[in-house]
Amino acid sequence: MMFFRSKAQQVPAMTLEGVLGPNSRLDEAGGLSVTTPEALCVAGDGQLLISSGKAVLALRAWGEEPALWKSFDHPVTALCGSPTGLVAVGLVDGTVSVFDQDAQPSSGWKGPFKLGTVTDCAFLSETELTLVDSGYPPNENVLSVAPWESTPNGKVLAVSASGEVRTVISGLHCPMGVSCDAKGDILVAELERACIVDAAGRPRQSGYPAYLGRLRKTRSGYVMSCLARRDPLIEFLKSEHDFVAEMKANIPPQNWISPRVSPAFSHDFPIELGATRLFGDIKPWAPSFSYGLVIELDDNLMPVRSAHSRANGRRHAITDALSWNGDMIAISKASGEILNLGPEGAVS
Amino acid sequence: MVPRTREIVKQNMSAEINFTNLPKQPVPRVVLSPRRILADILSKGWIESAIPFLALFLVIGGILLTTDGYFVPANLRNLAQYAADGGLVVLALLIVVAVGGIDLSVGSNFAMSAFAALFCFHILNLPVPAVLIVSLATGALIGGVNGVLAGLIGCGALLATLGTMITTRGLFTLASQAQLVEISTSARMDDVWDWVGFEKFLSMPIGFWIWLLVAIGVFVMFRQTRLGWHILAVGGNRKAARHGGIQVKTTAFFAYVLAGVIVGLAGFLFAARQNSIGADTGIGLEFFALTALVVGLGGFVPGRGPVVAVMVGFATVYILNNVLINAGFRGDFVQFSLGAIIVAILAIDVKFRKNRHRLLASTYLDPIALKLQDVAGMAGLMPHEMVPRLRKAEILAAGKLDGPEDVLLDAAGNLYCGTRDGCLMRLRAPDYVDVSVFARIGGRPLGLAFDREGRIVACVAGRGLVRVTEEGEVALLTDQTARSLFSIQDDTTIRMADDLDIAPDGIIYFTDATKRYDIGNWGLDLLEGRANGRLLSYDPTSGKTCTICDNLIFPNGVCVTHDGKFLLVASSWACSIMIFDLGDLAAGPSVFLQGLPGYPDNINRASDGGYWIALAGTRNPVIDQAMKYPGLRRRMAKKVPPTNWLFGNLNIGGVLKIDGSGKIVDALWDAPDGPLYMITSMREHEGALYLGGVTNDKIGRLPLDTADRQWNGPASYWEKGQ
Repeated sequence: MMFFRSKAQQVPAMTLEGVLGPNSRLDEAGGLSVTTPEALCVAGDGQLLISSGKAVLALRAWGEEPALWKSFDHPVTALCGSPTGLVAVGLVDGTVSVFDQDAQPSSGWKGPFKLGTVTDCAFLSETELTLVDSGYPPNENVLSVAPWESTPNGKVLAVSASGEVRTVISGLHCPMGVSCDAKGDILVAELERACIVDAAGRPRQSGYPAYLGRLRKTRSGYVMSCLARRDPLIEFLKSEHDFVAEMKANIPPQNWISPRVSPAFSHDFPIELGATRLFGDIKPWAPSFSYGLVIELDDNLMPVRSAHSRANGRRHAITDALSWNGDMIAISKASGEILNLGPEGAVS
Repeated sequence: MVPRTREIVKQNMSAEINFTNLPKQPVPRVVLSPRRILADILSKGWIESAIPFLALFLVIGGILLTTDGYFVPANLRNLAQYAADGGLVVLALLIVVAVGGIDLSVGSNFAMSAFAALFCFHILNLPVPAVLIVSLATGALIGGVNGVLAGLIGCGALLATLGTMITTRGLFTLASQAQLVEISTSARMDDVWDWVGFEKFLSMPIGFWIWLLVAIGVFVMFRQTRLGWHILAVGGNRKAARHGGIQVKTTAFFAYVLAGVIVGLAGFLFAARQNSIGADTGIGLEFFALTALVVGLGGFVPGRGPVVAVMVGFATVYILNNVLINAGFRGDFVQFSLGAIIVAILAIDVKFRKNRHRLLASTYLDPIALKLQDVAGMAGLMPHEMVPRLRKAEILAAGKLDGPEDVLLDAAGNLYCGTRDGCLMRLRAPDYVDVSVFARIGGRPLGLAFDREGRIVACVAGRGLVRVTEEGEVALLTDQTARSLFSIQDDTTIRMADDLDIAPDGIIYFTDATKRYDIGNWGLDLLEGRANGRLLSYDPTSGKTCTICDNLIFPNGVCVTHDGKFLLVASSWACSIMIFDLGDLAAGPSVFLQGLPGYPDNINRASDGGYWIALAGTRNPVIDQAMKYPGLRRRMAKKVPPTNWLFGNLNIGGVLKIDGSGKIVDALWDAPDGPLYMITSMREHEGALYLGGVTNDKIGRLPLDTADRQWNGPASYWEKGQ
């Protein structure tokens, strides 16, 4: 076999080099502590809306204190805004409501709609909203579970102002984010497949070096938030079916080999060989199951710029990122902060 | 001096160890695995020549299947008779190629030497010894011309020897045509001449014995002599050889001359056997010899002198050629098929050589299923159930030490520890601010202990067992033990001496944690999970090293019990502590403690009659499960970059306290991100615990509220009996 090995191999995934090369922009960015932040959007009056548990906060300008915009009965899981100022809010109980910019239920929209898990949402037009259902119950630790689930349960729905619901795509592997391209076509980011697919389920771009979160349109392209860095060990174990079956059967999910939100150690967590501390420190280049990564993409979904929080950083698990007043804003779920990465710009 | 009151220490924690009631620890007598055998064979030096050998076997096998009576003694004698001069020429060519040159003139030289021999014998009527000398001198002269041109002046070897080849051939043709008739009509008979040409010694022709002697001579030259080493050095890297002080040009010159002398000898043998020469004598010999050489060497490689492999290559080509001609094939067909077969052998050989190290790397790791006992005896003592008490530890010498695996304290409280760069450091009591190099050992000092005379005995990975006097003088005690039974890989050398302890009778017991990996890649031993380590003893009075127990799973910490009757040995990957009866070592180990929550490293005595166990890392459900899947670990080692290998969690360590009977009574943990992690050793000294870590750069010091403030290690070992 060694004598006649085929040179044809899979197209390699992107590595953290070049425009994806490591930096510490996330750790150096200015931060604003928020309890359990999850999603961001920009309201019609230019305020930044931040979900914080059961509440949505509004921030007028960076440096000010966020004010309560509206509170709900359940934790907020998704936020999105429309060009004219409508704001859609998804909750853990699976409901989606549309509000105007004064936080009042929008007159043009019925609702609330109850639609299953609302992982992310985006306005297709002023009268149609698209929703991502990851296929996992909202309270499940999706990061732990998703790499080991081969059945595609995720789907993308569209709901109109009058309440008509249609399924745009089904059979997706843990979709986490949705956005529209310049032509108005839907783009969906899949978590553990690390690719972006279109409305027909065809991959638009694949091989990203991370487990993907939300995807948002910016002036120059897109910004993609990444929940963790893709890990060779996890990718390898996907082919070890017996081992994974036994792990799923006997070990609680928080102890599985999987991407993680928080960089904290525990005595019962597995580690990778290179993550062993030296002189007490985690080396920034050490492998880690959690990572902070925001990737700016061009119109063709190719990376042009990135911001990292490396193995020794703490601003991991970026759940959302968007461009606000020309600044790049991101949420670190691990540190519970809103980060300002400075002016948006495709060229670093 | 502090008054010593050890004799009255309450041994409240010590309990009698009932050795006979403890479960026996099964130890494999021999570790057998096909993969390991393959890997061990692949790592042997002689495997380089495997393909020429295989080719010879195939040729012989093919002949046995197709030809009757080829390998009868008469035919073998015949083959040997005619092979001798060709074999000698191949050896000559090997020397020239080894020095980085080539000699195309061997065929002409051979013919010229044969002519010189016949001329001297038949025309000049010289005695046979003189004939031999003239033949050798002729060969040496032509070799010398080559040496001057290609070696000293530095003309290209190919062109220079092409020149001598043509010139010598021309001279030979002129001379032989002039003397041919006279030589062939000469009637001189000589017993010695005929003896060389036709007689047999021990049923084989004389020429064969001479060939064998020269082959042995060349073999010894390459292995043992200055000239041989210089030739290989020059061929291997001319520039490096010159920087190393070798006379490069002179060495090349002598290599050519030596090759010429051997060719001259071959010519002499040919002359004695044939008693005649023809215009075609020696024509094509250089290409035949080159082919044989290339088959044996596996390519055209300077700087190597594998005589046996080259002779095997020669035998392959020679027999193949002979048998094809015997079979009655046309000469051109023989040449064609011979060429094709040789190209095929070479292609396989070159591929094999190129990929051998990869094959070895992919087979060396040979994991086995290891089912670990569930964590036991830790109720209420696990890290998430306790406050991390090591947080209160005082940090000593932060940043001044590189990897203190073991810590050792003398009676005065001075602290000693090894470092990654091979030093033994001393931290002066009482504040441990003064850190200085106590001794430079080299290797990687790991376990430390004081002997009765107050000298430090250290286990040094990569070196063995070392003793350091109070003045800092270093002496190697032992670095070898007896080879294990049925081992293909030579495992006499102690690769990873890990920890030691000294019994009351002065015998040093120490562990060689793994026979298959070094300090740089011991992590692979965890992935393997095999019984690769051994417990050894060294008797300072006799200087003898013994293997007490072979085939243990990463034996690490060693501790002689308080009563001096038993030996505790930590088995890191098995998460257990074994116990040996020092009075009956042949009985083998029993299980003292198993189901530990982490990987035990060093074990040391506690003041209350119990013991401290350092945990280098903690177990977790995923790695425990992976230990049951050897195939997964092997595939992972192949497909996943090492930095991403699933591994034991070495980022959180701790210390367990057990009583004298092996019951876990306490646990000390650090916070998950605390400074004291991967704890590989701890020593109790006068009411405080000192902690070291092999990947740390500091020492931790934790006051023990309830410990005996007078107790220290050296006294516990060496003052009790007085």
